[in-house]
Amino acid sequence: MSPKKSNLYALLGLFRSATPEEVRRAYLKSAKKLHPDKNQAPGETELFLDVQQAYQVLVDPQRRAAYDATLPADEVEQVFRSPLDCKIELSRPSIHGGKDKQLVYALATIATSADHARTAKTPPLNICLVLDCSTSMQGPKMEMAKASALQLIQRLAPEDIFSLVRFSDRAEVAIPASRQINVRRSEMQIQTLTTGGGTEIFQGLKTAIDEVQRYNSPNYVNHVILLTDGRTYGDEQQCYEIAKIAASEGIGISGLGLGSSWNDVFLDHLTNISGGSSMFIQQPDDIERLLNEKFTYLSRAFAQSVDLYVEPAPGVSVEYAFRIQPESGVLSFGEVTRFGPVLYDEPLRVLLELSIESDRTNLRSLDLLTGYIESTVASVLTPVPNFPVKLSVMVDDNAVPPPPPPAIMQALSKLTLYRMQEKARVAVESGDYEKATKHLQQLATHLLSQGEKGLAKTILLEAQHIEQQKTFSESGQKQIKYGTRSLLMPGNRVS
Amino acid sequence: MIVCSNCKNQEPSGAIFCSECGMQLVQLEGQKTQQIYKETEELHTAPMGGLNPTATSTWISLHLLDGGQIIPVSERTEFTLGRLSENQPIMPDLDLTTYQAFNHGVSRLHAVIRLVNGQVTVMDLGSANGTYLNGVRLIANAESPLRHGDILALGKLKIQIILNLM
Repeated sequence: MSPKKSNLYALLGLFRSATPEEVRRAYLKSAKKLHPDKNQAPGETELFLDVQQAYQVLVDPQRRAAYDATLPADEVEQVFRSPLDCKIELSRPSIHGGKDKQLVYALATIATSADHARTAKTPPLNICLVLDCSTSMQGPKMEMAKASALQLIQRLAPEDIFSLVRFSDRAEVAIPASRQINVRRSEMQIQTLTTGGGTEIFQGLKTAIDEVQRYNSPNYVNHVILLTDGRTYGDEQQCYEIAKIAASEGIGISGLGLGSSWNDVFLDHLTNISGGSSMFIQQPDDIERLLNEKFTYLSRAFAQSVDLYVEPAPGVSVEYAFRIQPESGVLSFGEVTRFGPVLYDEPLRVLLELSIESDRTNLRSLDLLTGYIESTVASVLTPVPNFPVKLSVMVDDNAVPPPPPPAIMQALSKLTLYRMQEKARVAVESGDYEKATKHLQQLATHLLSQGEKGLAKTILLEAQHIEQQKTFSESGQKQIKYGTRSLLMPGNRVS
Repeated sequence: MIVCSNCKNQEPSGAIFCSECGMQLVQLEGQKTQQIYKETEELHTAPMGGLNPTATSTWISLHLLDGGQIIPVSERTEFTLGRLSENQPIMPDLDLTTYQAFNHGVSRLHAVIRLVNGQVTVMDLGSANGTYLNGVRLIANAESPLRHGDILALGKLKIQIILNLM
């Protein structure tokens, strides 16, 4: 393939209007993936040379202008087909003028495009399992964790990379990161794992990230799976910091919380920094199933990461960001918001709640968010073009807005239930027990009407518990949170 | 500013659900409030349909007198009648929306029909426009026996009961 024949812009995944900065970034991204030190498939080195050549032309204003002149003038802006379909819907096209607070919901749907979904090629895994081996894990928990880890190893594909880290108040690499793990040897390694000591998640996390880092590349799904049953003390901030660094290098973190005494607020925050999520394992017997689910989920990734880079307009803020699908959970909105992976057979949906408090007098339209969505897709060699995001609404006092799109209504009807549970937690923390029980009772009513008998019952019992004990029970709190959250997942019911 | 009709909580305009009680605040097209259709929602009375493995054959059919359609019911021995509404997270087991339920004044959760020990009963679930059995209005939340050929009216939607019990 000579750059003369193929379009230089397409080669770098750029639009004709790309700025020099975008050209530079696209090149770096491409080089990271295709560099002869990293690439594997035959032909990738040649492609890398082409990319280099394309970059040299496009980065030089004079050569770029000369090249542009050779392109047919009527060429459409998008010269290639993106492997991902992106769509953002707003709950309403116009807002009222004045200064009062207004809400607008935005639902982003990102799916593998039909062409690619058919030929679904998912990247190999580079995962590290981090096992909490503190004293509290002793007994059936540890036995199940060991058995599940072993089963995971047996499921690995030949090109998958696996490592295992154990931690208590210090961390140790039990199985160093490598391909084609020797099952018999690792079985012995795993059997010798013993419990003892406290829980210092930072130690385990750091060691695990180092292991994943050794083979870290955009051609893999790079992920750390943390299994813990306890609380970490004092190193939360350090954990967030390292998760942030890991996320910026394309390493995701998922958390599996076992039993009832782990800190779900911490684990949720830790994982959503990188677009991962936390899961709740009630019984040791469920470890195997949920760990397997996690593994399957990671191996269905088509785009390993989708990141939103946006800046809200002055007076506009994103109050809430929530991933509806594939794994539901709150996202931490910031300069960069990591959405997590797009699976080849399931779209990614994220709902944003935007609050507008700016003065809209004499305005005819208002920009809400501007930026772009960046994604990494291992199986597509040329970089995926950024999807430009520009959300704006009309300002019109007389307009009667049409009803919100059904997808937004549907997502919100379930999300409202999850948020009622959050409200009850906030109320308990601020000491307003009456309000908390009221929220829970209302939540239970909604759930009953949807036929979620079991969860509704748990919630009513918890409301009683709060009335009497003035606090949530640790397990009830988690059951309610993860129960209402799982309602959001399509075709998933809690019993 | 929007005020939630259920709990009087104030929400900024553009809100779609009440953040306090979970009520939907946005009326969807074609559901502009008409007094006759307004109802008190007694969510907690919504019964849950049970599955009975023995009742696999059709034990009851509903004959819609206006349209002439016949809806057979099997498997469930207990089912709620009503119309699906995006307004509320309520799911009747048997959705009558396609049979002009809205225009006939059928509530979202209108009535429940049960099969217990070979006895078929009907119970009104506190519907706005009432349930009539052979022209007599039923008392809400009380069971009445149903016989083959009875005419049941949900609001103005008339249904003839056809029983297939062995």
